[in-house]
Amino acid sequence: MKEKRENPGDLLQGTLDLLILKALARGAMHGYGVAEWIHQTSEDVLKVEEGALYPALHRLELRGLLSAEWGASDNNRRAKFYSLTSSGKKQLAQETEFWRRMSGAVARILQTA
Amino acid sequence: MLSEWRNRTSLRFKALFHRRQLDRDLEDEVAFHLSMAEQKNRAQGISPEQSRHTARRRFGNTTSLKERSREMWTLVSLEVLLQDIRFGARKLGKSPGFTIVAVLTLALGIGANTAIFSLIHTVMMKSLPFANPSELYRLGEGADCCALDGLQGNFGIYSYALYKQLRNSTPEFSKMAAFSGGLHLISVRRTGGAGLSEPYVGEFVSGNYFSTFGLGAYAGRLLSESDDQPSSSPVAVISYRVWREHFSLDPSVIGGSFLINGQPLTIVGVTSPGFFGETLRRDPPDFWVPLASEPILRLDGSLLAHSELHWLYIIGRLKPGEKPGQVQARVTLEVQQWLTSQGQIPEAYRPQIAKQHVTLTPAGAGVARMRTAYADGLRLLAAASGLVLLIACANVANLLLAQGTAQRAQTVMRVALGAPRVRLIRQALTEGLMLGVLGGAAGLAVAYAGTQIILALAFRGAHYVPIQTAPSLPVLGFAALLSLLTSVIFAAAPAWINSRADAGEALRGAQRNIREGSNAPQKFLIVLQAALSLVLLAGAGLLTESLHNLEHQQFGFETEGRLIVKVDPALAGYTADRLDGLYRLLKERLRQIPGVQSVSFSLYSPMSDVNWSSGISVEGRPAPANPEDFDGASWVRVSADYFETIGTRLVRGRFIDERDTAGSRHITVINESFARMFFPKQDPLGKHFGLGDASHAGDYEIVGIVADAKYQDAREAAYPTFFRPLFQTEKFTDAGEQSTETRSNWIHDIELRVSGRPQNLQPLIRQTLAGIDPNMPVVDMMTFSEQVTRNFNQDRLMARLAGIFGLLALGLACIGLYGVLAYNVARRTQEIGIRVALGAPRSDILQMVLGEALILAGLGVAIGIPCALASNHLLSSMLFGLKATNPVVMSLAAAALLLVAMVAACFPAHKASAVDPLVALRHD
Repeated sequence: MKEKRENPGDLLQGTLDLLILKALARGAMHGYGVAEWIHQTSEDVLKVEEGALYPALHRLELRGLLSAEWGASDNNRRAKFYSLTSSGKKQLAQETEFWRRMSGAVARILQTA
Repeated sequence: MLSEWRNRTSLRFKALFHRRQLDRDLEDEVAFHLSMAEQKNRAQGISPEQSRHTARRRFGNTTSLKERSREMWTLVSLEVLLQDIRFGARKLGKSPGFTIVAVLTLALGIGANTAIFSLIHTVMMKSLPFANPSELYRLGEGADCCALDGLQGNFGIYSYALYKQLRNSTPEFSKMAAFSGGLHLISVRRTGGAGLSEPYVGEFVSGNYFSTFGLGAYAGRLLSESDDQPSSSPVAVISYRVWREHFSLDPSVIGGSFLINGQPLTIVGVTSPGFFGETLRRDPPDFWVPLASEPILRLDGSLLAHSELHWLYIIGRLKPGEKPGQVQARVTLEVQQWLTSQGQIPEAYRPQIAKQHVTLTPAGAGVARMRTAYADGLRLLAAASGLVLLIACANVANLLLAQGTAQRAQTVMRVALGAPRVRLIRQALTEGLMLGVLGGAAGLAVAYAGTQIILALAFRGAHYVPIQTAPSLPVLGFAALLSLLTSVIFAAAPAWINSRADAGEALRGAQRNIREGSNAPQKFLIVLQAALSLVLLAGAGLLTESLHNLEHQQFGFETEGRLIVKVDPALAGYTADRLDGLYRLLKERLRQIPGVQSVSFSLYSPMSDVNWSSGISVEGRPAPANPEDFDGASWVRVSADYFETIGTRLVRGRFIDERDTAGSRHITVINESFARMFFPKQDPLGKHFGLGDASHAGDYEIVGIVADAKYQDAREAAYPTFFRPLFQTEKFTDAGEQSTETRSNWIHDIELRVSGRPQNLQPLIRQTLAGIDPNMPVVDMMTFSEQVTRNFNQDRLMARLAGIFGLLALGLACIGLYGVLAYNVARRTQEIGIRVALGAPRSDILQMVLGEALILAGLGVAIGIPCALASNHLLSSMLFGLKATNPVVMSLAAAALLLVAMVAACFPAHKASAVDPLVALRHD
C-alpha cells in the first residue's frame, strides 16, 4: 500500500516526520506542543503550517511509530498526547543517521564547487 | 511488539467502522490546538480578536486538514475496496444485459464442470467409508456373476469351499471376507404385521464381512463370525436408508422378528448411514444376511454346498508390511492346488489348471464396478465440460474486453482528470472479481441441479443411487478460481491499456481515436469459441445419431404395445411342484384382462441384462480338440406364445406351444445364428443336441428356427441362442449342472402384448397379480421399449449432455459474435455514415457486417473441423452405426455454426444499414 504524498508547505514530508519523531524523543507531547517545539528549536526558520502536523501525526500513529493517549494538559484541558513507540525510536535513529550522511555529503559537494 | 500491533490493528479497524469517533477526536485536537495558540498570543498582549485570527491563520485550512486526516485513515485499503464494490455494483446494475449474460455464462461453465468432476470424484477416486482402505485388496478382478463353474483363467469369483480354503491358508491377510457377486431380491415382511411382503435387495456375506472393512453399527450390532454358523439362529443387518425410509427409524426393528423369503430372522442392527455395501452401484443392498443362511433363503437352489460353483467375491485386509505381489503369487498357487484336489474337473481340462491365476486389485474403493462401467463416458464428459468452461471463459473475456473498449473514452477522461492509474485498474479488478463471485454462486446452483440431472439420466430405472449429489468443494473451488481469474484478468487488461492512454486523447475525442486493430483479441476469442463449439457440436451430433441408431435398430423383436412384468415366484415361496399351477393361473387370469392379446413367460426377456449360457454337445459333431474353444450358446426357457408375444419371426418349423409339456418329447427352438454356427450347410430341423457333455447330445430335438434377436449386447450381432420349453428337465450327475437345470424353471419375466397404451393397463395387471397371490411381489413393471431403452442409459447420458454442451457452446458463440459485431457497428457509425453519404448502397453496408460475421465463423469452422476430426476419433468406440468422421454430421455442425453466426449478425447489420448519415456526421 503506497501512501499518498502530503503537501506539508515548505517542508518535505520526510523531514516533517523526522522533526515530529525528534520532538517526541524528549517525551510524550500533544500536537500543539510539537508545533511549538519545532518553532522554538528551529528559531522559526522552518515554517510548519500547523494544520499539516495532524495528518502527519495520524499517519505515524497508523504506521505504528507513535502511540497516542488522551490525557490532561498543563492547564487541565483534555488533550491527545503522542509518544514514540519502540519502532518509532528505531525509525528516528535510522532517519537521523541517514539525514546526517546526506547533509554531510551535500555539504562536501557544495564545498568543492 | 505484539501490543503495538494490536493497537495499530484496532486503530485501523476504528478508522473503518468508527469514523465519527475519529472525526470528533480530530475536532477536539484542533480545538485544543487553536485555544492554546490563542492563549499564547493573548499572553503576548495581542487583542482577543487578533489572537484568534492569528492562531487560525497559522493553523491553516481546518477543513482541508480534516479531509487529509480522513484520507489518512482511508489508507486502509479495505475501505477503498468497499467503495470499489459499491461503484462496481452500480456499474453492473446499469448494464443488466451484460451482467446477466456474463454471470450466466460463468455459472454454466462452473456448474457443468463442478457437477461432472464431483461425480468423477465420487465414482472414480473416492474410497468407501472403510477403515484403512489402502490395506484392502480384492482377490481377482472383473464383474463375473452370478454362478460360474469350471475354470476362469483369471479368477475373480469363488465357491464357498474355495473361499474357506483361501481364508484358512493365507496368513498374509489379517481378515478375508466373502460376499455374493450378484445381489438377490428378497421378500421381507414383519412378523405379526398386517402388511404384505415387499421386495428388497439382499446380499449374502461372510460373518467377518463388516469387521474386515472395519465398520461399526449405527444401532444394535453388525454380523459376527458366530452368526455365520449352520447352527446359529438366523439374523440379518438392515441398511440405515431402509430403516429410515421404510421403518421410520423405529427402534423396535432392532431385535425385531421378520420373515425373509418366508423364513423367520432377527434384525440385529443397522449399518452406518454412509455405508451402501462394498460396491458402489445403483440399488445397493438393503439387508445383509450371513452366508450360513443362504441354504434356507435361496429357494431356487442353494449354492453354498457346491464347491464347484463359483459365486462369491473375496476382499481381504493385508497385514501391514505384506507385499501384494508376493501374496498374489501365493494365492494363485493356492487356487491351482485346490483345483487339482477337486475330483469333478474333467481330465481334459486338467492341463489348464496351471494357467489359472488370481490378480490382487486394490479394494479401498470396494469392487470397482461402476468405475469400470462409466470410466470412458465420464472421461469424455469431463473433456466436454472442460471445453465448455474454456468457451465460457473466452466468452466472458470477450464481453469484458468489449465493455472495456466501450468505456475507453470514459477511462481516458478519468486519466486526464488525474485519476491514479492504480485506482482505475483496481476498480476494474473489483468488477471482475464481483462477476466471478456471482458466477461462482450461481454455478453452485447449476452444479446441484446438474448432478441430479446426470444421475437421473445415468441411472434411469434405478430405485436408489447411493451417490451424493452435493458438489465436491475442491472441484467447485477450482472451477470458481479459474473463472475468477478469467474475469479478473480480462476486466483489468482493458483498464490497464486504457489507463496508459495519452491524456490528450481525451480532448481530441477518444471515440475517434481507436486504432483499427484494437479488437483483434476479441476476434481471436470469437474464432476460438467458434472452433471449440464446432468440436462439441460435431461430438454431440455423432453421439445423438449413434443413440438413435442403437434405439431404432432391428432388434429382432417388437417393442410397440408390449409390457414386461418382473416377478419372482421363488420369493413368494413357490417350490418346483407348485410352479406349473401358478403359471396356468397367471396365464388364465392375465388373458382375461380387456386389452391383453397374448401372455407368455420366460426365464428372462430380451435386453433385460440377463444372459444364461452353457456348454453344449451336438449330436454327430466331434468335440473340439482344444477344450478352451468348447461349443457354447445362450439359452432361455420360454412358455407357449412367447415368440408371438414379443414379436420374433418364425423362419422354419414351429414355435414352442401348449403341446410342449414336462411329459412330451423334449424339443428346442434355435435362432438363425445358432443354425449357422452348429449346422452350416445342413438342415437343423430334426437334429439333436443338449446341455453339458456328449452324453447329453441327444437330449432334445430341434423343431423350429426363429429369426435372430438381440438379447444381451445391442452393439453386437445376436448370440447363438436356443429356446427350451418350461419343465422339460434333464438329469445331470453333476450337482451344479442339476441345480442350474432346475433353477431355470422359475420365471422372472411375464410378457404381455396389449392393445392401446400399455401404461394404462398397469394398475389392472398389478391388481390381477395381487389377486392371484398377495405374497408374490411385482418386482418391476415397464413397457418393453423402456426395458430396451434402459440399456442405453450411458449412451443417452453422453448424447444428451454433449447435446446440451454443444447448444450451450453455440449460444455462447452467438452472444460473443453479436457483442463484437454490435460494438464494431457502433464504433464505425461515422464511417458508415460517410459511406452512405458518399452513395454506398445500403445492401453494401449490410453485406459488410454479414461478411465480417461469416469470415469469423468461417475461420472458426476451418480451424474447428480438423480439431473435431482429431478429437472425435476418441468417440469411435462408443459409436454405433456410424464413423467418427461422418461427413453428414460434420457438415451439419458447420452449417449450424454458420447459421447461428448469420443470426447473430442480423441485428447489428440491420442497425448499420439504417445509419442516418446526417446523425452520424454530427455525432461528436
